[in-house]
Amino acid sequence: MFERLERAVERGRDLGASYIELRGEDGFLEFLQMDDGRVNALTQRIERGVAIRVLADGAWGFVSTGKVDDLDGAVKEAYSMAKAAARTRKDRISLADVKAYQEVIELKVERDPRDVPIEEKIAYMEDMTKAIRDYDERITAVTVKVRTASGSKYLVTSDGARIRSPIMLVWSYPWVTGKEKGQLSAARHEDASTHRGWEHMEEVATPEQMAEQVAKRVKLQLEGVPAKGGSFPCVAGPRVIGVLAHEALGHLAEADLTVNSSFNGKLGKVVASEGVNMIDDGTQAGNLGTSRYDDEGVPSSRVEIIRDSVLTELLSNREYSAKSDLRLTGNARAESYLYPPIIRMRNTYFETGDHSFDELFEGIDFGYYLADFRGGQAQMNASFQVGIQEAYEIVDGEMGGPVRDLSISGIATDSLFKIEGISKEDFPYELGRCGKGQEAFVASGGPDIRFGKGGITFGGQA
Amino acid sequence: MMTDERTLLDLCRHVVAYGERMGATAVEAQASSTSEVESNIELSQISSVNRKDLDGIAVRAFVGQRMGSAFTNIPTKKAVEEALSLALNAAKASTPDEDWTSLPKPAKYPSIGGLWHDSVADCDSARVVEFAEEYMSRAIGAEPGLMPAYGGSGAGTEHSAYANSSGIEHAERGTTAYVFLAAIAQIESGVTPAIGSYDIRRDLEFDLDWVVEDIVSMIRLCKKTAEGVTGNHTVVFHPDAYQQILFYTLIQSIRGDNVARGKSMIADKIGEAIASELVTIVDDGTIPQGVATSMADDEGVPRRRTPIIEEGVLRSFIWDSYWASKMGVESTGNANRSMRQGQVELSPSTVVVEPGRRDIADLVSEVKHGYLVRDVQGAHSSNPESGDFSIVGNPAILIEDGEMKGAVHGLMVSGNIFDLLKKVVDVAKTPLVLQGLIGPEIVCEDMKVIARE
Repeated sequence: MFERLERAVERGRDLGASYIELRGEDGFLEFLQMDDGRVNALTQRIERGVAIRVLADGAWGFVSTGKVDDLDGAVKEAYSMAKAAARTRKDRISLADVKAYQEVIELKVERDPRDVPIEEKIAYMEDMTKAIRDYDERITAVTVKVRTASGSKYLVTSDGARIRSPIMLVWSYPWVTGKEKGQLSAARHEDASTHRGWEHMEEVATPEQMAEQVAKRVKLQLEGVPAKGGSFPCVAGPRVIGVLAHEALGHLAEADLTVNSSFNGKLGKVVASEGVNMIDDGTQAGNLGTSRYDDEGVPSSRVEIIRDSVLTELLSNREYSAKSDLRLTGNARAESYLYPPIIRMRNTYFETGDHSFDELFEGIDFGYYLADFRGGQAQMNASFQVGIQEAYEIVDGEMGGPVRDLSISGIATDSLFKIEGISKEDFPYELGRCGKGQEAFVASGGPDIRFGKGGITFGGQA
Repeated sequence: MMTDERTLLDLCRHVVAYGERMGATAVEAQASSTSEVESNIELSQISSVNRKDLDGIAVRAFVGQRMGSAFTNIPTKKAVEEALSLALNAAKASTPDEDWTSLPKPAKYPSIGGLWHDSVADCDSARVVEFAEEYMSRAIGAEPGLMPAYGGSGAGTEHSAYANSSGIEHAERGTTAYVFLAAIAQIESGVTPAIGSYDIRRDLEFDLDWVVEDIVSMIRLCKKTAEGVTGNHTVVFHPDAYQQILFYTLIQSIRGDNVARGKSMIADKIGEAIASELVTIVDDGTIPQGVATSMADDEGVPRRRTPIIEEGVLRSFIWDSYWASKMGVESTGNANRSMRQGQVELSPSTVVVEPGRRDIADLVSEVKHGYLVRDVQGAHSSNPESGDFSIVGNPAILIEDGEMKGAVHGLMVSGNIFDLLKKVVDVAKTPLVLQGLIGPEIVCEDMKVIARE
């Protein structure tokens, strides 16, 4: 593959491109879905393709092709696309300089998912379905999805990068419905690894572990009281604080979005209560969003988005590093050869503070503890919404009973100033996917954090 | 670059014949070849032009009642034979599905005009760039401070084919083109919500006057901010907003698989009133303006027009061949195949909300205190089973004494879709054509609204 891509880079140079980047991919991918024990999809595919990105006359041209044996035509096409885009530009896109790395990265897993028999994967899903059903008799429907990927991706650029990286994924996702007296309730859970093989499903995301996580939430929702609407103090647990770090704040710190967002012009300014630190770290060994290089060949790094309450750094790629004079952070990621790389988060989290868990509840007459979420969404004006699938009332400073179908919202830039306490205890990461026109696997987390009244609005119906 | 629909159909036929030779008791293949040129807007300029030419052939093979599937992006006989072998091996390793009976059989397809336009197929990259550039420059010129945040334009073709061992052989083609822009403006507290407006259609006759006016008028409103009041109020939902709420709640409840699996609150409500009598909703797979319109669904079953709710009364669910067969009804032509992942799921084609008789301006003018919700955040975190939703209107515009005053930040609207449908007190007369939905604004009274403190 390398030789093919290198020849294509030469073609791009001959045409007069100021930069050309070829990303090749060769992978074996699987998708399995089981609905109430019925196999609804059991799909294997061999995917080969190349993404060609050309910078010419200060604009980008991009072509994705599955015809890896005929890249000359695709390179010409990408070059002419860039020329067409360039005609209307007032200024020229340029790229930050980067050291050209040449490396072949190996990944050793115990059980490459490509070599695990289909029967074993089906048994994994059957075991999970059974464990979920056995958890509570009110559970009426179980869907389990599993994805795996195994292969290699190749990067060759006209700046001299030549990198081969592993493609690895094991992903597990149950969605469960429960029913009682005409009331329906649902919950989901997700686990994944991009650094381990099928052994992750045997040791971490086991059928029993996944079943426990998802089934207990369906049960709690069936037994929960309706949520109240209004403004209350709350404590957000690690999974919810992670999604706030990612959705509500992380996206505002992606340099391509920052310029149009509420973080614009705030670099160097205080954006949060005292003691708040938020990081995106692409170097954490084994975490879901970690890789040695990004899809432009830039080493991943640890980015201190908020340090001591001050907006300190933004996530960048080569284009925005040059445009906005930012440190090159290695956050350009592409879902696959079907997409150009764009600025994405990796592993985003709040750092621990100095409160004990119990201290966070002190003095709250009524509020909510937010344990897990169903989905979240943010907008450029820092408005966020997160659907909560596991929550409890806080009554007189103590954890109370479960609550069903709660939804929270706020203006993130205001909510940050309502942080009143951060737990000192370590936390697990939430493992999931982010959609920004294309999919990226990301981790997010943080310790339990308390928000004062007015920081978060609750969209309950009671 | 693209593979035409006749060549794709030949490949599908080859898969079926080869599959039967290899021991499959039933086999189906769906193939598509898409070619799209799109421009991207970033920081108020065209940043890139992208071209994607993608072929894909999805195969499902059955051995008795065991099923396996595979996908290849290489449109050659050798590649589809390899895919078929993968699918057969998967089927042999799979578990039997006692409810599976057969693949769908041939039927007559509807005749639908206007799905293909040579002008779109012939549209080159320079022309695609011009559309985005014109939209952007006109919007900037029409409103001081308006900043294009992202957007673009595109023109594409899709050729598709389907064949199965029950005798269906079908091929068709279509074109799609769009212009899209999301814009913001600086305000004292930061920025306005991003306001998006698009025109997506089968030809290149974009209504730029309309999309420019749409985006500009909303940005103008959002430059002013207003305070919301917690309580039960009238909410006017723009189709962009209620489309998302409907999709994650009502639409999930009318999917035949969810009905059959006990995941729908309205599974036993056919023939009963579940909405205000002003509400008529149809799933129309044959409406010429619909981007999802085609002659056949992804199992080769003819698309059709399926009334879902007529004057408030629940009339039908949507079905594919598997769930229809299991429940003893007919497929409504709503099978949707994820080509790469292989699963066939139920999805609506174009949801049509029948228009009412009055102008939206008149309806707004009668609101004493209420909110126009133009777009929402968080519809996807609704409870699809119960129909409960709790969203942020962003933007949500305060209406007082019949006048739109300005944007309320962080306004939440909570409720249940089956309550909302009963609270519809008016439907505007002019439908908007969106991707997946054609409908006008709806007015709901007594909605739970929660304002930030």
